[in-house]
Amino acid sequence: SLSASESFPMSQLFVKVDEVGAEALGRLLVVYPWTQRFFEHFGDLSSADAVLGNAKVKAHGKKVLDSFSNGVQHLDDLKGTFAELSELHCDKLHVDPENFRLLGNVLVIVLARHFGKEFTPELQAEFQKVVAGVASALAHRYH
Amino acid sequence: MLSAQERAHIAQVWDLIAGHEASFGAELLLRLFTVYPSTKVYFRHLGDQPDEVQLLSHGQRMLQAVGVAVQYMDNLHAVLSPLADLHAQVLRVDPTNFPGPSHRPLLRQLVVLASHLQGEYTVEMQAAWDKFLTGVAVVLTEKYR
Repeated sequence: SLSASESFPMSQLFVKVDEVGAEALGRLLVVYPWTQRFFEHFGDLSSADAVLGNAKVKAHGKKVLDSFSNGVQHLDDLKGTFAELSELHCDKLHVDPENFRLLGNVLVIVLARHFGKEFTPELQAEFQKVVAGVASALAHRYH
Repeated sequence: MLSAQERAHIAQVWDLIAGHEASFGAELLLRLFTVYPSTKVYFRHLGDQPDEVQLLSHGQRMLQAVGVAVQYMDNLHAVLSPLADLHAQVLRVDPTNFPGPSHRPLLRQLVVLASHLQGEYTVEMQAAWDKFLTGVAVVLTEKYR
């Protein structure tokens, strides 16, 4: 399990950068274009610029990251914290849990972009453990 | 298949790495071992706690191979064939370690690129390199069975 002390540097990452969620979702949709299947109602996704500039993508990205950072505050009970969202992603949104891992990987790259050398190997390791934990929690209620 | 634009992005990024293969490669390995300690099983010859000299040396070798792949990105099969044999017959690194959207990334180069290039690491470069490295991984694991 993940300790509270491990989450301290990570919450710093979220406080510092607002646009991380928007950029992570945008890059996911560009780098792995098949993920656009969940966002056809978002309007223009026809080019990288269109995706990254899309207001709905940005808003949704922020929402996703807010939820993720909430998870960071509850590392002792990720499955409980994400139980409802897990059911939602299974029953209503029909999202393959593989996509949670994909988004997590893109998030790591976006953080590395923003924080450069500050995103040390150790911080990356801690963060990736959280990403794996959140992805697993989101997949937990699938049936 | 890589488009002309993708090839240009790949070459553009490589230009920023060329000449720095050792330091990029060392950081890549350091991040790999720190984030995925289990990958050290494939590098026992570097010892339990590989030192900087070893990381630089091995990192350089790996990145030089990537440089060759960049140079011959239209003919990866031919140029990577000896390495494919090596990985299949000698190294036998589990295929899930190789880059690919859902694979654990042996070449977590993209994080190294992102942290060094930062603002310059555009989404087009990320997409092109992700695709390119996935292609390299396919060739490297092609002879496994």
